[in-house]
Amino acid sequence: MTAPQTGTKPNGPVAAVFVASGIASLVLGVFVTLNEVSEDINSFLRFDANYGLGSGVGPLSGKVALATIAFVVSWVVLHVLWRGKELSFGAVFIVSLILVGLGFALTFPPIFLLFAPAE
Amino acid sequence: MEVTERELYTILHGLVLGTLFLLAFGGGMAGLWSLRSQLVTEEGVKERTPRLLIGTAVMAIVAWLTVISGTFIAYPWYRAAPPEGTNLEDPAALADFPRYLLLAQEKTAGWHEFGMEWKEHVAWIAPFLATAVAFAVAYYGVQLIRRGDIRRAVMIFFVLAFAAAGVAGLFGAFITKAAPVA
Repeated sequence: MTAPQTGTKPNGPVAAVFVASGIASLVLGVFVTLNEVSEDINSFLRFDANYGLGSGVGPLSGKVALATIAFVVSWVVLHVLWRGKELSFGAVFIVSLILVGLGFALTFPPIFLLFAPAE
Repeated sequence: MEVTERELYTILHGLVLGTLFLLAFGGGMAGLWSLRSQLVTEEGVKERTPRLLIGTAVMAIVAWLTVISGTFIAYPWYRAAPPEGTNLEDPAALADFPRYLLLAQEKTAGWHEFGMEWKEHVAWIAPFLATAVAFAVAYYGVQLIRRGDIRRAVMIFFVLAFAAAGVAGLFGAFITKAAPVA
């Protein structure tokens, strides 16, 4: 932790939402990739058929639901942990960028299809 | 002159929400860029902060509305399967089944295999990032001008949110042209 900047609020709550958005992006990318790896995971991710989340959406329903849950849960947890604290925002932002970058990469078809079984 | 229910929906999803997103991004980015003490007075900061908050909040709300409506309304129309026995290599028989229509021909298969596969996933990164931006602006308000580190991070996330939505929007337009859901 670093010293608070004079006259401004502590950056903990903003750090929390930045990292949470990175975690959500990574969770999305991970499930996009896992969906290609295994038939069982593909079936699990069909939240429309399994839990009534939409109709005809297929495994995309599970991928986006899990990413959104990861976003909300990690935001709440980190917000509680970091509320009132001043963090090294540069480090927090780099971590967030790495998470977002991995999320972007794992949603890119030439990358996630590398994990698909050979036909 | 006729607009079907599905065409009306795709206009709302792509054109109306897309335009709002672009406007909110442009306004928000201009506001963030110029939020520097050497460029604006204290009065100026107070005057433009509510506008900045509205711009970033609208962008976040529109991003959520776009991905939720796209995923749970338009996407099932796109991926609907034709009845059993349909010739999956006959484009004429697949006009109402965009995914299968694209896959039926080698020259259009890439729109699904690359374009749609990327679009349907990467779009969801935009609302996460846009929400982080809107929260940071709402949290700091007029103090944002004194937090250069946060302001720069917010601008980078803002641009990344726009890039994610831009990829999705661009492929959405191309795919709709190649195989409309209407």
